[in-house]
Amino acid sequence: MTAGLGTIAAALAIIPGLGFLAGSLRRDVRNAKSPAGGPAATNPLRVATEREVKPGKPLRVTAVGAREDAWLRLEKVTLGSLWLVRTVEDGPIKAFSTVCPHLGCGIDFDDKAGKFNCPCHASAFDLEGRCLGGPSPRGLDELEARVEGRDVLVRYQRFRIGSSKREPLG
Amino acid sequence: MSVNGAPPSPPSGGKLRAWLTDRLGLDQLGAAFRGGHVPGGASLWHTLGSVAAALFVLEAVTGVLLATAYAPSVTDAWASVAYIQDQMAMGWFLRGLHSFGSSALILVAGAHLLQVLVFGAYRRPRELNWMIGLSLFGVVALFALSGYLLPWDQKGYWAKLVEATIAGSAPVVGDAAQKLIQGGAGFGNLTLTRAYAFHAMALPALLTALLIFHIYLFRRHGYTPRWSLSPQDAAARAAPAWPDQALRNAAVGTLVWGVVALAVIARHGAPLESPADPTSSYLARPEWYALPLYQLRMLFEGPLEIVATMIIPGLVTALALALPFLDRGRTNRPSDRRRVLGAAALGLVALTALGVTALAKDARDPAYAKARAEEQLRAATARRLALKGVPADGNVFHNDPLYRAREIWDDRCAGCHSLTGTGGEKAPDLKDYNSRAWIRGFLSNPDGPLYMGPAKIDRGMKPVAVAPEEMDALVEYVYAETGATDVDASRAGRGRDLLSPSDCDTCHDFDGEGENDGPNLKGRGTPRWVAAVIADAGHPLLFGDRNKMPKQRGKLTTEEIGDLARFVIGLRGK
Repeated sequence: MTAGLGTIAAALAIIPGLGFLAGSLRRDVRNAKSPAGGPAATNPLRVATEREVKPGKPLRVTAVGAREDAWLRLEKVTLGSLWLVRTVEDGPIKAFSTVCPHLGCGIDFDDKAGKFNCPCHASAFDLEGRCLGGPSPRGLDELEARVEGRDVLVRYQRFRIGSSKREPLG
Repeated sequence: MSVNGAPPSPPSGGKLRAWLTDRLGLDQLGAAFRGGHVPGGASLWHTLGSVAAALFVLEAVTGVLLATAYAPSVTDAWASVAYIQDQMAMGWFLRGLHSFGSSALILVAGAHLLQVLVFGAYRRPRELNWMIGLSLFGVVALFALSGYLLPWDQKGYWAKLVEATIAGSAPVVGDAAQKLIQGGAGFGNLTLTRAYAFHAMALPALLTALLIFHIYLFRRHGYTPRWSLSPQDAAARAAPAWPDQALRNAAVGTLVWGVVALAVIARHGAPLESPADPTSSYLARPEWYALPLYQLRMLFEGPLEIVATMIIPGLVTALALALPFLDRGRTNRPSDRRRVLGAAALGLVALTALGVTALAKDARDPAYAKARAEEQLRAATARRLALKGVPADGNVFHNDPLYRAREIWDDRCAGCHSLTGTGGEKAPDLKDYNSRAWIRGFLSNPDGPLYMGPAKIDRGMKPVAVAPEEMDALVEYVYAETGATDVDASRAGRGRDLLSPSDCDTCHDFDGEGENDGPNLKGRGTPRWVAAVIADAGHPLLFGDRNKMPKQRGKLTTEEIGDLARFVIGLRGK
């Protein structure tokens, strides 16, 4: 009887407590979500002018937009960076997230070797984003990019890191 | 001794003492505090547990003090820690004690564990206390893991990101574990509030409970004397824990606290890197105590990574927990427990070797040194800017006048000028503005697409057509006027002499007074000159009535114009 009453009393705190913590498992939690589920105009984002992207010389740019983080909403913050790559003059522009698919470090470009590499665990990628070596489970994450007038627009998003499958987050 | 309503024993020191003894059981309390006897005599070996507990108290006290000034949110965490570190009285010292004390705690707890291992103090009947001790060590590790995220600086952010991802790579439960740690799909406010609640509330409660149980069981089973002493010898040489052992505990404890305090003073507190920047390419390295695991993971790539992150640490933990039941030695003598001690020694050597390898590799790597230097500069800048107060969005770099200038540029200048070397809409491209290359390009073709071309000026400047050597001299003259410091003075002087022969003086004056068709070239490109152009490029000393650039005087403050000028001048060499 005593144990039973104790269990009920404990459950009164424990069940909502677990629910409170496990709320973070839901997909629609507004933590570190970027960009905000606001008007469609916030994404894609203007990241560069087309002429800035030179063939064979990847350009690192930042994606600036609105970001929601639990109780906070910030209008103009850096959401992440990306590499804009063009292989031929006036050719199509590809965009790759700088987030390494291995553990999320920021990918650098090695001018001399002409390839992308990760400073943390030395994964390497070619200009098409293909993984050339190192622990990364997949190639660089490509972002939707298009040219509109003079501008390069990119739909910025993040992907699950550490898995071989490319799975968007948030 | 009186218990359960029996009449109190005769007072041994005044009425107050008798009164308290009756109500609190002071004698029992005192006896419990003093502890029993140390078989085999007091020893420095037996001090380590007490010193670890004392370091925990240091952590608790400094932790509570830090919590009085810390704000766990992505916009405020770094700002509040920088405030503690750089502006609050004794803040750097307290934060240093907390940080260095945690390292000392890990070292001393590790030494305590080794001492128990060597003395065989984990053996019957102390099996459960060994397991509780290992759990305490695990809790200390969790303290460290959750603690260094809290400043929300680069080091903490990136190390934690890597750890959360490792947790996420666990089979089946990984995804849920990662989201529970992060408070959602990514890193943000809830990651920080969770780590904070865990670090400052849940873990202290857990550690205190385990510690009480640990000490209770220790008191129940007592000290384990040196293996060389027979039970009779040990009993014969027994010393009272108070004051013999207590004095040694206090001495070693004070020594360790002193070393921690000296280290804090010598290093002027714990490091604080620049605010977490999720978009940077940060070279993530864990704290020293996690380096062996970091290096271990380097040995296993791809799908095998889980061997380093979970399987090996998991197996070692399981083996350690089961040690009292695996150890078949007949006595506590090391010679009876060769396999156990051999394995422990091997483990210690492996940990050290892995840690040293990781350090040595980074020490040899110029890219690492460069990244460290960049981060140190960024951190110093951030902390200097934070002294002005961190803006509400948490981005301390917005305090930089040049950042504000860049915002003004985007707002007011970028419509006509460009900074990309591709040519502006209606005005010159200012990439590498006033470098020798820019000046040379301008003089060779003033109406080129990178220069005045887009501005479509009627009867603009004519290209300078002179011999290459003369061009060099003219470029150097114009370059010298900008106030550049690496000027070839004789060549610039030659350029000065060539101004008339090259017909420059038809339109330009060089004295800072003449109001000719073209700008007066005296001091052209200096901060004052650029600011004057921004304020009103149509001034007779500048571009006069051919000017098309809107004047900014009255729209921007003098200070803003000055910052904008510094921004434009800073474009050279970037």
